Amino acid sequence: MTHPEQPEASRLSILALTAPVAMGYVPLGSVFGFLFVQAGAEWWLAVLASLCVYAGAAQFMMIPMLAAGLPVGAIALATLIVNLRHIFYGLSLLERMPNQRLLRWYLVFALTDETYSLLTSLPKTVGHRQMAGIALLNQGWWLLGTLLGALIGASAKLPLAGLDFALAALFAVLTVEQWRARRDAFPIWVALFAYGIAQWLAPQQALLIAIVLSILVGLWRKPASAELSGEAKQ
Amino acid sequence: MSDSPYIITVLLAMALVTFALRALPFLAAQWLGRHPWVAQLGRFLPLAIMTLLLLHAMHGASSEHAAGPWPELVAVAVVVLLQLKSRNPLLSIVAGTGLYVLLRNFGLV
Repeated sequence: MTHPEQPEASRLSILALTAPVAMGYVPLGSVFGFLFVQAGAEWWLAVLASLCVYAGAAQFMMIPMLAAGLPVGAIALATLIVNLRHIFYGLSLLERMPNQRLLRWYLVFALTDETYSLLTSLPKTVGHRQMAGIALLNQGWWLLGTLLGALIGASAKLPLAGLDFALAALFAVLTVEQWRARRDAFPIWVALFAYGIAQWLAPQQALLIAIVLSILVGLWRKPASAELSGEAKQ
Repeated sequence: MSDSPYIITVLLAMALVTFALRALPFLAAQWLGRHPWVAQLGRFLPLAIMTLLLLHAMHGASSEHAAGPWPELVAVAVVVLLQLKSRNPLLSIVAGTGLYVLLRNFGLV
């Protein structure tokens, strides 16, 4: 992302940065809230789910499992598999996390796909408070959507199909910016190839399998030695 | 599914698992921070994962209609070109999403 270069301009630019996430999170969150209440749960339980679990795919996945009354252990295991990719997100943020405990652990808690992609794309000048602000706003959009969907119910349907494509557009923008930062297209080719293989192997777990394949290639491929030793000395 | 204690127990278990997964690299940071693999992955992973999230979102969107993947490909191509030229994320996202909504809603798909 290009614009938050002066930390003073933070509030507006944080809002602008999370705007595409809002366009995805509010409608998707309201679909979750709607389906959750339709399955027979109280509205505040939907809000509690978005407050304390805060993992989109896993939240959608749990609705039929809860409705079927599956054991807690089975649902926890399914959550582990669906969210396994989150293990790797912290790796790119180790250096950038605040030392202050509350900010740090909230940021760790709030590392969803979208928040991860925003945080890893920020310039180094962006401060810890702004990082936490972005994470907090994103969860706020998700909570707002959940609340709307749970309360309004049937009338919470999207007016137009495809508005949640804003999330895909956000990922496209961030891909361009990540490429601009390194000028190395190799990770893109690895990702395309890995996703193709993963779709062929197991479409249900394609994202997780593709991430694991990409990590294996990333570990195997040695970067230019000068660059590596330069960064290791910092 | 009106059994609130059961749902709350499930939610707490899911929250614990999700948080543990997100916290693991930070808890292991003392060991991980010095490992050359971390620097290597730190450079390689963000672009690879971003590309994967993009592919996954496109795949999900294209499964909602029967027109094949072309509306997603066209819209993403517009976003990528705009972002390369303008470096204005909001413009790229709004234009790409607008085009996609047009394609999906007005008889084109």
